[in-house]
Parts: sequence; structure tokens; C-alpha cells
Amino acid sequence: MRSALPQREPAQLPSSGSPQRWGWLQQLRSQPELDPEPWLLALENGSLSADQDLLAVLAERLDPPAQRRLLRWWRQQPDPDPGLPSQVLRHRDGASAAWLLEQLAPGPAALGLALPLSALPQAVATALLPLLGHQRQLPAWPVLLGWLQAPIPTPLRLAALEGVARGLSVWPRPQLVAALTALAGDLDPQLAAPAVDLLARLPGARRALVPLQRCRLDPRVVERLGRRLAATPAQPLLLVVHGRAGGQLPDELVALAAELECGRGAPVRLQALSAAVPPAATELLQPGQVLGLVPLLLLPGGHVRHDLPAIVRHWSAFARVQHWPFLGAWPQWQGALANELAGLSLQNCQPAARPLLLHHPLEGPLAARYLTTLERRTGAHCVATPYSADHLAELKLTLVAPALPLALAANRLTDQLAEQVGPPLLQRSALRQLLLAELEALP
Amino acid sequence: MTSPTISAASQPELSKIEQAKVEPCGLELVPRLEELGRQGWESLDEATLTIRLKWLGIFFRPVTPGRFMVRLRLPNGVISAEQLELLAEVIDRCGDQGSADITTRQNLQLRGLLLEDMAPLLQALEVGGLTSRQSGHDNPRNITGNPLAGIDPEEIFDTRPLVEAIQARLLGPAGPRNLPRKFNVAVGGAPDSFLLHNDLAFLPAEHNGQLGFTVLVGGFFSAQRNELAIPLGLWLRPEQLADFTLALLCHFERHGNRQQRNKSRLMYLIDQLGIDAYRAELVEAFAEPVLPHDGSHLVNRAPRSGLGVHAQKQQGLHWLGLHVPMGRLDAASMLELAGLARTYGSGELRLTEAQNALIVDVPGDRLEALLAEPLLQRFRPDPSTLQAEAVSCTGSAYCSFALIPTKGAAQQVLEELERRIELPEAVRMHWTGCPNACGQPYMGQIGLMGAKARKDGQMVEAAKIFLGGSMGAEPKLAELHEKGVPLSDLADVLELLLLEQFGARRREPVGS
Repeated sequence: MRSALPQREPAQLPSSGSPQRWGWLQQLRSQPELDPEPWLLALENGSLSADQDLLAVLAERLDPPAQRRLLRWWRQQPDPDPGLPSQVLRHRDGASAAWLLEQLAPGPAALGLALPLSALPQAVATALLPLLGHQRQLPAWPVLLGWLQAPIPTPLRLAALEGVARGLSVWPRPQLVAALTALAGDLDPQLAAPAVDLLARLPGARRALVPLQRCRLDPRVVERLGRRLAATPAQPLLLVVHGRAGGQLPDELVALAAELECGRGAPVRLQALSAAVPPAATELLQPGQVLGLVPLLLLPGGHVRHDLPAIVRHWSAFARVQHWPFLGAWPQWQGALANELAGLSLQNCQPAARPLLLHHPLEGPLAARYLTTLERRTGAHCVATPYSADHLAELKLTLVAPALPLALAANRLTDQLAEQVGPPLLQRSALRQLLLAELEALP
Repeated sequence: MTSPTISAASQPELSKIEQAKVEPCGLELVPRLEELGRQGWESLDEATLTIRLKWLGIFFRPVTPGRFMVRLRLPNGVISAEQLELLAEVIDRCGDQGSADITTRQNLQLRGLLLEDMAPLLQALEVGGLTSRQSGHDNPRNITGNPLAGIDPEEIFDTRPLVEAIQARLLGPAGPRNLPRKFNVAVGGAPDSFLLHNDLAFLPAEHNGQLGFTVLVGGFFSAQRNELAIPLGLWLRPEQLADFTLALLCHFERHGNRQQRNKSRLMYLIDQLGIDAYRAELVEAFAEPVLPHDGSHLVNRAPRSGLGVHAQKQQGLHWLGLHVPMGRLDAASMLELAGLARTYGSGELRLTEAQNALIVDVPGDRLEALLAEPLLQRFRPDPSTLQAEAVSCTGSAYCSFALIPTKGAAQQVLEELERRIELPEAVRMHWTGCPNACGQPYMGQIGLMGAKARKDGQMVEAAKIFLGGSMGAEPKLAELHEKGVPLSDLADVLELLLLEQFGARRREPVGS
């Protein structure tokens, strides 16, 4: 019977260097029951030394209270072994996470405290920061971030980054992306390179990685970024656009697609709503690929509600389709429109006038809700603008407020009111760059 | 699932590990991988994290909690350039934490991975024709074969299809999911296929003028006991190996010792039943006619290193064996290796049990250019006779049981010895960090095992020295020679040994 087996006692442990010690410890390890109390006492009173081989065996058998007791003892040592915490705190539990948080929450300021007992030696902080991340508790995020962003020695910031790595999927995503993106531009490639590697692990990594291509990065980090992007190849994209009569594609869109294809390194094709025949699937798709379908449509009109579902059905016969919302619904796009409108207002001789967004007339409650939202987000007044010759001619005479045409490419509105509303949106540098960047960053 | 049925009334209490293994099987985690990746794996209990994930080849590492290891399966040690590139990308994004080790089972294990890497990695492995399934814990480990299979002028059997067939059967629906202990299987295909350290080894053998395999069972190394495999007394046709292996493993799954993990390897079951009764039970379980055999075989010498340029059996083609110091690879060298294999050969590589890599199918007129490649300054085709056959376990950098940093210590000592002596013939040195003997010290002409020793009143890292291991015609396990030599003295002690027993000569001092 197992219970009849004698308990191994600390005093019996063969000394370090004894040929019997390893086997003795292995037998201790396989002992069905192990009371940690005498072992902790022996460590605390100094009759046993906290050797790595002993800890490797004991750590498997300590419950969380015993772990913390050992760690408290360790923290009080004049020269604590930085290797001990990772052996003892291997498992995740709330109390261990709280202990780690308590040690590290004061942040780097604790490193300089004058009181020797409460001061946090750098080696201790370096050992504990990765373990705090391993515990994967959300309250650790601001603590890790504080250490990561502080002007402290690189090994400490690296330890904090390792903590971020070990709990990666737990941290609030927008803050995580912002912190890692900032770190990718750090002058120290030791920090910047792993930041890029961590961004590459996030869902939809291209969205975080592609913008880094336009940042000033250390050459070694640039190489790393290139490798990460190469390993997350872009899907083929189908851009659904209005087109002109007979399916003709406006030059602005053709140029955008060509540049986008070059930037993504994957096929990009345009499909005009007015086209009789869609592009051939073989031009766009390899077997097994997912097709990204992006409606470059600015309004939730009949095309979005009726034509798009039919287009998605068509392509679903060839591939799994990842269908993105229509462009007009993208918050980034709406923000860019707001910026463009703000610029117009500044240039206008009547700065107090509310800018206008001239759009094709829409029907239905969905459209009304959308236009209300767009007005709120851009600060503009949306004005339905029929494209009839009479209406455009009248507008040409009466339009005085600054106005943007809600048209990506040249059409009747922009042709006839060129002097009043300026070029279509894709001929405006900021909007075009934003759209290109957003499309490049899609999976 | 084929878990053994254990009657509570008739069986003693299961060990803690056995209890964790019973339900659920780690393989049942596969459909949850993506979800677990999204949720951050918080829902996993510690038994799942540290035990069950090994059924997927994912290893929690106590030395680096939160950084995991993935062990693959590479049957017969065959890997393509594309597969190696896939793995290089995986460890490249682990930065300084990432590395890959060639193991003593012709396999690769990747280190420094995060839990978030697992779901995409396992998907990528599947797409790339690789798997890490059941590569750890109580499972049939990577199945080894002749690293020169299919290209070896001395080949008796091409072991690749046999090894593939065994793996397919063991990982198939009827395969074992809950063995009492790990299990090593190997297939020999050449006169130098030394495989007696495996639980189950098939060695080429004749029976009435027909070529087939004699079966050897029970080999293993551990802290408690070291045994070479013994003849089972059966002879099999090549096409029988896969089904026979399955039958043997299912028998072991049913009857192996689940109460004492240190007495659960196959040899203990053979001891318990006796070899004749064990054979009889297997013959009955196999249910196909098999022939008795005296255990003689066609393996008669120690394994070739395979390093350097050698002619393949295919006219005009060669393999180039490269020495990978201590079997340790980084992402850049993996990419370079893959590039060389694709540029100069057929894009295929082989990994050896001596932790080295071979580039195969190189035409004669491409050899000169290949030999001039910069990577060959680090991965030499002609390493020193000290380095050529050095094998090492992972050491204390990644293993909490290792008493010394094995790979680093070995490399340092060997480099020091290279400066001091010349050795006419390669000496097989096996380094291991602890008595668990993962570095197979008993197989070395010189075996070194991590230890502690006192020096100048201080306890210091040290190594036990074993001598006399042989993988030749008369296999023999190495025996203890020195109990604990401080690492700082190890070069001096080994220098003397090599001078006195292995024909080494002292180098002339520079300038003399």
C-alpha cells in the first residue's frame, strides 16, 4: 500500500554532489504524498539550500499557499536567486497572480526606493515580469505597460515585453496594438523586433503590420517585418465599384487597383456593378484561397442591399468569401471625410458655413439612419443631389457652402460641378492614401 | 478511443499521471485549438496544460513557463526544404527565444513558442504534410529508420515506406492512445542500423534465404536501468511490420504496468511474463502466421556518420552530410539549409540520430559549388574527429532535471580539446544532463552525464564519465569510469583519456 511508504525527510537528503542525491530526489518526486511543511521550514531556517534540483522536485508538489510562502522567503534573501520564481510559479492561479502584481505594481519607481527591504532589485523585477504575463490576468496589463514604456534599462523592458508575450491574447487589443506599434519604432532593435513578432501573432495581423512599412524602423526590424508579412500572404481581393455605363471602369479605380495589387502582392480585381460579366475566377483565385470582397460603395443604397448579395452568391461558388462592409460604413473612412471637410471649411471664404456632402438620393429608413450617422461623424450636412442636368445646372448657380461630392471617381456630378465641389474623392491625396492603406492592410 | 478498461475492484490505485491520462484524451483538444487560441487558453486546467497537450506534441516547459516546445514527428528523419522553411518561420518569430533541436530520434523540436502560436502552427503543419501528434508523453515516439534510406549503396531495405506504414497504423483509428509509458520503435535497413536502444526494433534478417526482419524487444535507457533489446524469436515479412507493431503496442497498452512509472517500460512487462510467454501472447494477438527465428541479423557494425560527400546508389548523385554542432538550429540556418537542399539537391533533407543533417540527390557537377557555400563554415562536412559524433541532450537551459548546461558545456570542452589534441578516428561522445539519459551516454565510446562535485570546498557542475559503449557487431553499454569530474577539469581528464585510450596525439605548440 502506498500509504505505508516512509516519507522522505529533508535531513535525509543526500548532499549536493552525492551520487545518491539525484535518485533520492526522483524517488521523492514520485512519492504519492508529500507534506511540504518540513521542506519549507528547512529552507526557511537555512538547514537546506534552495538548490535547483531540489526546487525542480518540490515545485511540482507545492500548493499555492506554499508557493507564496516560499516566494516571500525568497524575497527576503539578501541575494535572491532570480531562477527560483519561474520554478515555483509555473502554474496560473489568482493568488499567485495577486502576489506578482503586488510586487510589480509600484512600477519602476520601486527600483529606486531607499528602504532596502521594500526596494525591488532589478534582478527580481526581471525575473517576475515574465511570470506576471504568464498568469494572464487582465489587471496585469497596465503594470506591464508601465514597465515596458518606462525609461529603464533594456533588460527590464525586455522582461516586461516577455510578460506581454506570455499573456498576449488576454490584453485589451487596441491598447496592445498601439503599444506594440509604438515599440516597433523603438531605437533599440532588441525591443522593436519582438514587438513586430508579437503584432504578427494577432488576428488580422496585416492590419497592424502593413502600416509599419511606412514608419522609420531599424534596418534589422525592417527585414523582420518583411519576413512576417511574407508569412501572412494577402488574400485575393475583389473590389466592387459603381462603374460607368456599359461596365466601364473609371481610371481612378483602375489605378488604385493596380497600385493595391502591387502593395499586397496578391491579385486585386475590380467588378463594376454595371458590368455584364464578372471577372473570371481563374484570374483571381488559387484553389483553397479565401476571397476578400470589398464593396467600394459609399452609400447603403439599392446596390448594397440588392446587388451585393447576388455578387457574393456568385463568388461563393468558387471560394469562401470574406465579405467586408461597404466603404461608406468604415469608421476610418468617415474620419478621413471629416478631415477633408474640415480642410475645405478652412479654405472657404465663409468659414461659418456648414460643409455639405452631396450624395445620390437614397430611399428607405436604413439610408436615413446612415445619413444621420454620417452627419454626426463628419459634421457635414448631407444633401441629396439628383444627377439630372437641370438639377446640376441649378446647383452650379446656387451652391455657396463648401461641399464634397460623395463619389470616388469622376461622374456627372463632379464633371459638371468641378469648380464648386472639386475633384472626386479618389483624386484627393489624403483620402486616396487612407483607402489604399486600409485596403493594403486587409487579410 | 482505445483506453484500457480498468476494473476498480481488481486494479490497484492509478498513479496521478494515469488518472490525468484517462479522460479526456489529449487528442480531443484538436477541435478546440482555434477557440483556445482565441480565448487565451485560460479555460485549460493544469493537467491539460502540462500533460494532455503532449498528445498534440505541445510541451509545457517548467523552466520557461509560458514558452512552450513543440515536438514533431518526422518518420525516418525525412524532411523537405518547404517543411523546414515552414518551421524556420515559426521559430524566427520567437526571436531570441526560438530555436530547433535535432533529436536523437531523427526528429525536430521547436522551442520558445507561445500558446497563441499553437492553433496556426498545427494547421500549418497539416497543410505542410507534417504532424506533431502523439510525439510526447506515453505515446509511440518518432519512428526511426536508416537515414540513408533509398540512397544508400549498402541498403538492405528502404526503410521509408515501412516506417511510414507503421506510423500510419499507430496514429490511425485503431492505434494506442494511452500507453503505460513512452515507446520507441525503429526499423533497420543497412548493416550499420544499430537500434538496440529501442523498445521495439526490426533488424534485417534472412529466413530460409528470404529477406525480412527479426524482432528485438525491450531496449531502453533510464535512471534505474539500461537494457539493450533482446531477440523476441520471431521473423516477419516487411509487409507485416505495421500490423505487428500495432498488435504489440495494443498488448502493451492492455498489460503494461500503470502503478509504478519507473517500472513501466516494455522490458518490465517482458520480465514479468517471461520472453516465451510474452512471445506467445503476441503471436496470439497478431493473429497472422509468423515464423520463429534465432534473432541473428545483418547488422554488423556501428553506424556511419554520413558526414561529407558520398555517392548515392543512384548513378551520378551524392549526399552531403553536414555536422550540426550539438544538433542546435536557429531560423537563419534552417532557411539556409533548406535553400541549399533546393538549389543543389532535390529539396529533401535527412536528419540523423547523431543530430546531423544530410542534403541528398546532389549531382556531381554541383558539388564544388555546394561545398563553397558559407553555411558549410558552420555546419561542416568535415568536422574534427572530436565533434563529428558528439551527441547531446538539451541540458539545463530547457530541462529542470539536467544538472549541467549540456550543449554549451559539451561544445566548450570539445573546442578546448580540439586546440590541444589530434584524434585519428572519430570517437562517439554522448552527453547527457542527468541520469534520465536522454543523451544516451551508455551508447557512447565515451559517455558523459551531468553531476555535481566538490572542488576547492565549493559544489560545482561536473560530469560522470562512462567508457566502452559499442554499437558494433558486439553491442555493449558503456560503464562508469569516473564519478564526478568538475566541468572546469573535464578537458584535462578527457585529454588524458583520449591520449591513453583512443590514439590521440598532442598538437605541436604553435611556432615550434
